[in-house]
Amino acid sequence: MLQLNNVSKSFSGIFEPVLKEINLSVAEGEFCTVIGANGSGKSTLMKIISGEHLADSGKIKKNGDVTQVVQDVNKGTIPSMTMLENIALSRMKTPRFSFYKRHKNEIVDKIRSLNIGLEKFIDQPLSVLSGGQRQTIATLMALNSGRKILLLDEHTSALDPKMQKMLMEYTARSIRELGLTTLMITHNMEEAVKYGDRLIMMHNGRIVFDLKGSKKSQLKIQSLLEMFHKFEDQNLLYGGKNVH
Amino acid sequence: MSTDLIMNGLQQSLILAIIAYGIMIPFRFLDFADLTADGAYPLGGAICAICMSGGVHPALAIFYGMICAGAMGVCTALIHLKFRVNSMLGGVILSAMAYSVNLRIMGKPNIALFDYDGLFGANIINNMLLIVTLLACCMIPFAVFLRTDFGLRFRVVGLNPNLAQLQCISIEKYTIFGLFLAGALFGLAGSLMVQLQSYMDVGIGVGILIHGLASLMIGEAIISNSTLNRQLLAPLLGALVYQQVQGVALSLGLAPSDLKFFTGTIVLLVIALKKSKTKMSG
Repeated sequence: MLQLNNVSKSFSGIFEPVLKEINLSVAEGEFCTVIGANGSGKSTLMKIISGEHLADSGKIKKNGDVTQVVQDVNKGTIPSMTMLENIALSRMKTPRFSFYKRHKNEIVDKIRSLNIGLEKFIDQPLSVLSGGQRQTIATLMALNSGRKILLLDEHTSALDPKMQKMLMEYTARSIRELGLTTLMITHNMEEAVKYGDRLIMMHNGRIVFDLKGSKKSQLKIQSLLEMFHKFEDQNLLYGGKNVH
Repeated sequence: MSTDLIMNGLQQSLILAIIAYGIMIPFRFLDFADLTADGAYPLGGAICAICMSGGVHPALAIFYGMICAGAMGVCTALIHLKFRVNSMLGGVILSAMAYSVNLRIMGKPNIALFDYDGLFGANIINNMLLIVTLLACCMIPFAVFLRTDFGLRFRVVGLNPNLAQLQCISIEKYTIFGLFLAGALFGLAGSLMVQLQSYMDVGIGVGILIHGLASLMIGEAIISNSTLNRQLLAPLLGALVYQQVQGVALSLGLAPSDLKFFTGTIVLLVIALKKSKTKMSG
């Protein structure tokens, strides 16, 4: 479970708060996608949940440790370390004085299950892989970290369509299997409609709509795009000021 | 060059390798520019000398030297972590302070230990075997440690501190541990040098950092540091080559007073070569 009560955040030099009294409750195992234009506060929200930023006010309640995959793959992986070392690192919730290579067979099986032939690079540094392949490994690291809350910040945005689909399918399947409480930021409306139990849209630091259950499952891309553009147009009309 | 000169060079290079390992740990694994060597090396020597002259067993004197120099490394870490003092500045300040501390410990600028039995004898081969054994006793467990869960986390601290924080790795604890280890290695090298020379002078540490750094750089330039094994071999190989290069330069007529200039030039050349190589490949 993840709960935010009246969470606000401002940055010096920016007149308007980036987050304005956010109230959000994500149930255990719930998969929530977050959309919104650039500057709407999505990434700040993630950073506050992960602990990278501190909220100015409000309360955050988390029922487990947080793991995340961010856009910048260099932040989430270590290119000079081997694939095995990177993934083994993410699995060490309780480190031991034993060789990390004990995880090798299990890790190879996990990578093999992706069906993209990455297992042959298990002992190679991640720097030999493409950006997309490294992002796949970063996602695998987060999914296998044993943590209960998963934050995904446009983790498939830098991938080609085929890879994007494969990774998204794998992520969604793993989230279901592991019962992870998930918040996923995306700019891809198709992903936002297709995946997740719930859809949140942010605009000017506020949650402006929140769909779940049958409303979410019946949502069509066209109507989502219309809603998105409605807020964007208001943003242009009112000079970025919140109209709600 | 005579065989004696080569053998002496090898003996010295093994001690230099210990210093290079001490430099490698914070530089390469913690991304911590630690300049404590100039202070911790003579501190280890001073403690060892004063212990030996007080009748302590030479092996125990080395151990005390290592612990005290390790504690100095911990102080550098704490100054950086608690007071946010730049790592290099912290090392320089402590090294300057260590000079006075060493003088206090020794009570005079130098101590002759010719009347005391150390671990070393007249047989240069045996002496080298002893140094290699001590070096192996320190570095083999460290190499094994690096392949454990804790060792992997230790390496992440320097490579990606953001990821380390995300993985709930305590950067403070690992930095303190790493600098203790580095300091202890400087102390070991200082103690061994004092016993080898049967003499301790308060100025033995001046410029030792640059020699260790040159060894590390040369080693990495020869075999690179692209894998863990190569990284762990680089200081030893570098020290062996560097000491021999120094020996050749001296035998060709280089004045000993020009040695530090010579060393600095080597370090700069290696850095420039590395940079141009990276530019060409990138």
